[in-house]
Amino acid sequence: MPTFRQGFALPFDELREELDRFWTTLTAAPPLHGWGVRPADGVFPAVNVRESDAAIFIEAELPGLAAGDVDIVVAGDELVLKGSRPEICPAGDAGEGPGTGHVTWHRRERGTGAFERRITLPVAVDAAGVEARLVDGVLTVTCPKAAAAQPRKVEIRSS
Amino acid sequence: MITQPQTIGGSTACRSEQPLTYQPNVDICDLGAEVLFVADIPGSRADGIDVTFVEGVLSMHAAVPPRDLPGRVVRHGFGIGDYRRSFRLGDGFDAAQISADYSKGVLTVRVPRLAAVRPRKVEVKSA
Repeated sequence: MPTFRQGFALPFDELREELDRFWTTLTAAPPLHGWGVRPADGVFPAVNVRESDAAIFIEAELPGLAAGDVDIVVAGDELVLKGSRPEICPAGDAGEGPGTGHVTWHRRERGTGAFERRITLPVAVDAAGVEARLVDGVLTVTCPKAAAAQPRKVEIRSS
Repeated sequence: MITQPQTIGGSTACRSEQPLTYQPNVDICDLGAEVLFVADIPGSRADGIDVTFVEGVLSMHAAVPPRDLPGRVVRHGFGIGDYRRSFRLGDGFDAAQISADYSKGVLTVRVPRLAAVRPRKVEVKSA
């Protein structure tokens, strides 16, 4: 005879959760034009890097953070993004009203807490000229290339 | 119980012209008196976000304008496009009191429960 771990209700709860997961899988069908694929899932923050003749542009998604919450360090050919993402939902006993002494999580997909991401830059950059701005959760860092790394047109002398 | 219903996208006629749509990562926490939906939607604006509650389905759609940075891509970690996601809620929510706030790339939607169904702590009196 099977034994229940914590009472009779739990096996049915587990079954319901399994069915919920299955249903979510079925019904999260992509729109007709398709869901985008986010290859950086699991890595925070996700980063795009672009390169022009004069600079390297790093774009990172940092929702929930203000400018003062992120440290950006450039050393050599490495750029480090470091910070901590705060929790928005209140902690355990912050519920309002009578009888709401705890929080029940139905879904928890956003990560919180400390993060650090090291990005190797494709060329050396001028650390003194690096600029960054954070707007609506999108960080853009502009790293001017070091003079030695910038393309140079070589003149051909005629003898 | 909160489930995720099918999300319906654009028409096949303009499939090739539309950018991709992304599902935002969402936290859902139940505070008893209300349920909080917190979604990561970086790069949008408050006036580009629609939050609707129709027949028990809470839907959020955020338009994300393209960001044109110069240069060529040397590392691609994420795509840029609109965000869309829906959740089917049970009965007992006060649709008129739903509020939404967008700040620092995060959308927070508060869905309060009707007073009649809010959990209530009953005090036990001593005789």
